[in-house]
Amino acid sequence: MTDRFPLDRHDIRRVLDLALASGGDFAEVYVERHYAAFVELEEDIVKETGESVGLGLSVRVLKGDQTGFGYTNDLSPEKVRKVALTAAAIVNGRRKLAPSRPRAASPLAGIYRVRRPAHSARLAEKIGLAREAYDSARRFDPRITKVKAHLQDSFREILVANSEGLFVADARPMVRLVCSAIAEKRGRRESGFWGGGGRVGLEYFSRALTPRVIGEEAAREALVLLEAADPPAGEMPVVLAPGHSGVLIHEAVGHLLEADFVRKKTSIFWNKLGRKVGSGLITIFDDPTIPGFRGSYAVDDEGTRPRKTLLIEKGRVRGFLQDRLSARMLKRPLTGHGRREGYESPPIPRMSNTYIDRGEDDPADIIRSVRKGFYVQSLQGGEVEDSGKFTFSVSLGYLIESGRLTAPIRQATLIGTNIDILNRVEAVGSDLAFSLQTGTCGKEGQSVPVTDGCPTIKISAMTVGGRR
Amino acid sequence: MSGGRARPRAASEELTDLAEWVVGFALRCGADEAEAVVNDGFEFNVDVRKGRVEHLEEAGEKALRLRVIKDGRTAHAASSDLEPGVLRRLVRNAVTRARLSSPDEYAGLAPLSTTALPGPELDIYDPDMAGLAAAAKIKLALETERVALSDKRITNSHGATLTSAEGRLVIVNSNGFRGDYRQTYCSLGVGLQAGETDNRAEDYWFSAKRHFRDLDPPEAIARKAVARTVRHLNPRKLRTGNVPVIFEPTQTAWLLGFLFACVSGTAVYQKSTFLAGRLGRLIAHPRVTVVDDGLLPRGLGTRPFDSDGLPSQRTEVIKNGRLLNYLCNFYAARKLGLKSTANASGTGVGPTNFYLMPGPETPERMIVGTRRGLILTKTIGHGLNPVTGDISRGAFGLWVEGGEVTFPVAEVTISGNLGRMLKEVEAIGNDLDLTSAVTGPTVKFAEMTVAGR
Repeated sequence: MTDRFPLDRHDIRRVLDLALASGGDFAEVYVERHYAAFVELEEDIVKETGESVGLGLSVRVLKGDQTGFGYTNDLSPEKVRKVALTAAAIVNGRRKLAPSRPRAASPLAGIYRVRRPAHSARLAEKIGLAREAYDSARRFDPRITKVKAHLQDSFREILVANSEGLFVADARPMVRLVCSAIAEKRGRRESGFWGGGGRVGLEYFSRALTPRVIGEEAAREALVLLEAADPPAGEMPVVLAPGHSGVLIHEAVGHLLEADFVRKKTSIFWNKLGRKVGSGLITIFDDPTIPGFRGSYAVDDEGTRPRKTLLIEKGRVRGFLQDRLSARMLKRPLTGHGRREGYESPPIPRMSNTYIDRGEDDPADIIRSVRKGFYVQSLQGGEVEDSGKFTFSVSLGYLIESGRLTAPIRQATLIGTNIDILNRVEAVGSDLAFSLQTGTCGKEGQSVPVTDGCPTIKISAMTVGGRR
Repeated sequence: MSGGRARPRAASEELTDLAEWVVGFALRCGADEAEAVVNDGFEFNVDVRKGRVEHLEEAGEKALRLRVIKDGRTAHAASSDLEPGVLRRLVRNAVTRARLSSPDEYAGLAPLSTTALPGPELDIYDPDMAGLAAAAKIKLALETERVALSDKRITNSHGATLTSAEGRLVIVNSNGFRGDYRQTYCSLGVGLQAGETDNRAEDYWFSAKRHFRDLDPPEAIARKAVARTVRHLNPRKLRTGNVPVIFEPTQTAWLLGFLFACVSGTAVYQKSTFLAGRLGRLIAHPRVTVVDDGLLPRGLGTRPFDSDGLPSQRTEVIKNGRLLNYLCNFYAARKLGLKSTANASGTGVGPTNFYLMPGPETPERMIVGTRRGLILTKTIGHGLNPVTGDISRGAFGLWVEGGEVTFPVAEVTISGNLGRMLKEVEAIGNDLDLTSAVTGPTVKFAEMTVAGR
């Protein structure tokens, strides 16, 4: 594995040694080689294909809560030395430590589910998959006027070595096929979206989710939206559909349990470990070890083996998502949530696959219990600030009237304060499901793949931002 | 790569040699046309928090992007690994992939322009930036945060950040275009919280410039960040209703970003914008004029040429309410039967300095003239749909009653439709400040729905 990189174990130990020369108490080298490719179909043709490769290295030095960081994509010995010295400059003292002898560690097994790796498949096969999604959306209905299908895959090989002797390599596959469709009727245009993938091989598209289904669902969503009404405005009961609505938990709760915000005391949760913050019906996990999922990994970007982490148990805060720096400062165990977008970025605590655990309510009963309310079917994403105020955007919803889903509703925004919403959860269904395997989360300019999940959930009152 | 030359090469020549070699190699591999873009960047970044350096970063990176066209079929490639063997393989793969792609009659490189490229008058490179000592930059960040934290109402800090960056970009293509330029960028900002843990307000402020000496002083940035944060303390929720909404310049900025997405030539030919097919029509109130100006001296979006190698220009997008131009790269322009507006950015279309022209009103007068309404100060969430023009976002603001600010507002949403809003612009402020490349002054809209209780 490490022969994929132009540095060997001894080179890396020398870099770590240099990085510690001015008194740092921890040093880390991260090397990455990545490969990515895409195919895009539009206007009935293969519009674009692309391929990118990259190789780079970063060095990080910690001294207490201070970080020195540098990177380069020129792996010549002089440049790498310079990067080590740049990172070392965070502290201006004398050497305290020498790096420990490297001990090879192994990542978790069974996380990546690949029979036929996308990165070594023929381009024609990938074009074929995108074409199938494209055609099935295009032919679905005459009102579908525009389709785009995009297949993208990547293969990222990483090596993490640190001054504590950790030395671990990982090779992460990823594939994603998405389709968007535009439907038109009497001058009105609406768009629909569907997709899937994960840390899987191309066989996924003949088993778990076929390109045909991806195309049809994108078209179907656009067509439903053509008939959709503007959303109602004001406070009302909200029911979240299973799966997609997990992004609400990602925004409302997940981000503020990332330990950097806890360590800095900017998160509303910083002083709430062990305290009850929401309904006893709510239990939340973040699990980077779900096989094949987009948010999963066999080792995090600091070389830590990840583990399923309990965040909220029956409404009580039980844990935070840790990276090394935060775990050191908070004196808490590592959870394996130190992630980075690439070698150009320092690791920070991030979510992986975040979900609300299944409850006991019958989903049909939950909908039946609402006289007048809003049902959230699919979501575009959301945002949160550290104070706990969050929003998320609903691309398709339904009105609930007398316990039944009625008119489709387009483009609404829900807003709330996280602890209020957690306390207003009145029912949690038994139907846990996960979002489409297409999601990406952004934080401090870094994007990482994630997945969210939740069962059907009822919130007694939430502000729905509509028009009137 | 360029072979053994005896004399030392200037940085720009080295990058140009690399780009020329890649273009030449692509043609030798069978491409009809080829284009290479090489970026060489250096960045310094310091985060300070609670009076100490928290994160110090310095890094440099080179990367290459390539486009080849064979029989009207296009393929793209990119690499940050500039090892000759890697690049050769990438170029060969690209030519092979192009053959598998579909012919597209609109594909192709832009022809060599006869207009001379703008030069140093753009003033986007600060020669002093590279020589600034890290210690001086760290001091500025520390000073900014110190001033902010000296205000007793501020209870926590997200930290202050100073970034300085410089880069060189070279484009070479097989139509004979050869261009390169250097640019610099720096920014200084601070993020703050006020109030106790369970009832916090937060906001930030920053200054971003091409030239280091143009940065606002730390005191000014800190005081503005403090004022912007504390004004959100103890907010109330509103009752749902339709009211006039005054967008502060930071809010006009995202609205203009959304407008850009709706006038981008790519969105137009993809029919993914409600403004497709509206060229020449009155789409906004006559007081609305929007320009994209790639030539604005020291502008954050300024550059001498776009990524197709076409010289930058100033384009009137909306003039007195009329939609005059879509913003296009060479490809989108060809598809639409228009001329490129030199908005090629990477492989797509992007804005340069895209802004709403200021009007005659002061923001103060706009507030005084509002009987009941919301000043929009901050928004979160996505909720922008170019296909329909629909807007729906989480909002923070200040409530205006009888021409005066009465209390802060949070946990509401605003919604409206860009198409309708453009026609219902009631007033435009005189406070245009080009702190970001896509922006505008204070704007008052006649009506949006604010949803709360």
